Amino acid sequence: MTLIIIVPLLLALYLSLIDLDQYTLRRWLDAPFLGLKNFGEAFGSGLPHAIWISVSFAVLATVATVPFGIAAALATQNAYRGRGLVRAVFLVPYVLPSFVVATVWRTMLQPDGIVNTVLAKAGIDGGLWLSGPKSYWTLILVEIWAAWPFIYLMALAGLQSVDSEVYEASAIDGADWWPKLVRVVLPYLRGPVLLACLLATLNHINNFTLPYVLFGAPAPDDVTVMPMIVYVTSFQSLRFGLSAAMAIVSLLIVAVPLFVYLRALRLDVHDEGGRR
Amino acid sequence: MSRRTRHAAVALVLVAGLAGCGGDDGGGGDGKTLDVLIGANTQYPREFKAWQQSIAAQFKAQTGASVTFEEFASANDELTKIQTSVVSGTGPDVYAVGTTLTPTAYSTGAFVKLDDETWGKVGGKDKFVPATLGISGPDEQNQVGVPFVSRPFVMVYNTELLQAAGISKPATSWDELRDHAKKLTKDGQYGLAVAYKDNYDPWKFVWGMSAQAGNPLVDGRTAKLRDPIVKQAYDTYFGWLTTDKVVDPAAIGWTNSQAIAAFAEGKTGYMALTSTTSAKALDSGATKGKWKFALLPTVPPGATARPAGGVEAASILSGDNLLVADYSDDQDLAFQFVKLVTDQPAQLDFYQAAGNLPANAAALRTLQSDPMLAPVAQAAQKSVATPFTGAWADIQLALTNVVVQSIPDLAQGGAVPVDARLADAQKAAQSALDRAK
Repeated sequence: MTLIIIVPLLLALYLSLIDLDQYTLRRWLDAPFLGLKNFGEAFGSGLPHAIWISVSFAVLATVATVPFGIAAALATQNAYRGRGLVRAVFLVPYVLPSFVVATVWRTMLQPDGIVNTVLAKAGIDGGLWLSGPKSYWTLILVEIWAAWPFIYLMALAGLQSVDSEVYEASAIDGADWWPKLVRVVLPYLRGPVLLACLLATLNHINNFTLPYVLFGAPAPDDVTVMPMIVYVTSFQSLRFGLSAAMAIVSLLIVAVPLFVYLRALRLDVHDEGGRR
Repeated sequence: MSRRTRHAAVALVLVAGLAGCGGDDGGGGDGKTLDVLIGANTQYPREFKAWQQSIAAQFKAQTGASVTFEEFASANDELTKIQTSVVSGTGPDVYAVGTTLTPTAYSTGAFVKLDDETWGKVGGKDKFVPATLGISGPDEQNQVGVPFVSRPFVMVYNTELLQAAGISKPATSWDELRDHAKKLTKDGQYGLAVAYKDNYDPWKFVWGMSAQAGNPLVDGRTAKLRDPIVKQAYDTYFGWLTTDKVVDPAAIGWTNSQAIAAFAEGKTGYMALTSTTSAKALDSGATKGKWKFALLPTVPPGATARPAGGVEAASILSGDNLLVADYSDDQDLAFQFVKLVTDQPAQLDFYQAAGNLPANAAALRTLQSDPMLAPVAQAAQKSVATPFTGAWADIQLALTNVVVQSIPDLAQGGAVPVDARLADAQKAAQSALDRAK
């Protein structure tokens, strides 16, 4: 743990306090100590915009994937012919590597790509998906496509834990499908789906591959998420101290849902999951 | 915190992480191994591997030492390798570094500066094409890069379409190129293929046009991106699509390889920025036997001749330099390797294997007799170095960003408002220059 977590963390913290760039890299122990100046510069540059884009994108993507995930879990809960195949197909977006997903979508969303060609046949001008304001919604759309099976998996796991007696009892009580869903099934899913939401939000915020492959670097302003700005600052501008400060801020932002997650986990130990 | 305390604290933290991360610090000659970092060749991987094996065998015969080639996939991979090697003081002995990355590598101070003695070890400066030495260092006294290969940028044109349009020879000025492109644009045919979405192409146009008009974008420690010359360069570049309408509107989504592919369909007059590495793609499309390379225009937009102060920049100085790491214990061996691969036979072998032009002057002369290659060889000789400053990576990024953020306006047509974006680019460029040490 010391080598894998604490040492890199302390190093990142140290780097964020010094003027480390290509000129000082070689003698980095002698790099001028800046204190919090890198943090000041980070907040004075594009970081607040990147935070806003990252957080809003992550929350929207998570919120949008929940109905898809739950619906898919419900659709594959009961046994029927071909259920195994349906379950396998549902997992395809999740098991594909991120760069493959991004490359395929990038190809489809070209100005003269298949998406715009199909839309044009329906009399709709698709416009630009990979540049300008619409690129933000493209990022969310592709992220939803790639990430909803995670919610599905967690919801399905939650459904598996519902005792068959509960269904039988509600059937004896004459409950219709809607009250059964809302009052019996969904309460069981609350715990696992909430945890899935927290984990998914963290994943969305940290996703670098998808925006990088979809839009390239430099990316349009509308999709300059936190991992992108850290990458460009570090590997294109070569300002390692400044990018370390940005990474520390990112870490703190990610730590908020992480804290909530850990707290929820602790609560679950005492509450036996969905039986609340 | 005192420096000593800081050193001690950080050294303590690092000691566990860096323990065991050793390098190969062998000497020269028998039983030694030289580690060479070189860019992967995705177009001709088998031929490239065969060249490496041949060079390794020759080097073994000459020195008794082995060579290990380590390949990197992209400039970013290489930069990461340089960073880790610079920090740890171990890693490859020789680096093949792209020309635009050479100023960054130089600014780390981790490579051997070349004096008369070291130049002598690799065969002397005279054996190289003079232009290729233009980005070896900031000045003649501070050079680190030995020219290895040249990849000058040129245009490619469709001979059949130009002939049909009554155009007898390719354009030599940007205005003439626009006029030719207008003549060529008709009936599902376009005059020009441009990769607006490429992350590397756009700044090369802007720098080239500006340098030809007398503004190389950097004057000492001052960025000059808000100069009207630069704005005119952007206006010309965007204007091909928005006002001249000589480019396929889909080009706003094209990378360089997509623009080449579009040109190879045989319905475009010119492809404005390519190199010899595109020959394979051109020969496998509808353009087979119908294309030729030509020099990029060297007269700036709005002019019929280069103004005073303008330079005949036919291309950025593009290719690879070889740099020897100053932490290497095998520097003599490294320079013997550099000599071997920059001598005429190895340079011509490398051209055959990978399609990169020789930086060796005698080797390049042997290729000029090939009429297909003559314009490329000429471009190699007329290439001009981009400003040698550690800030160039940021300036390049700022220039590209103007295009990236302008694409939605490009799609709308009409004039593209670049003033505010140029102001941002100027600020970023000047800030990078101010930080340069």
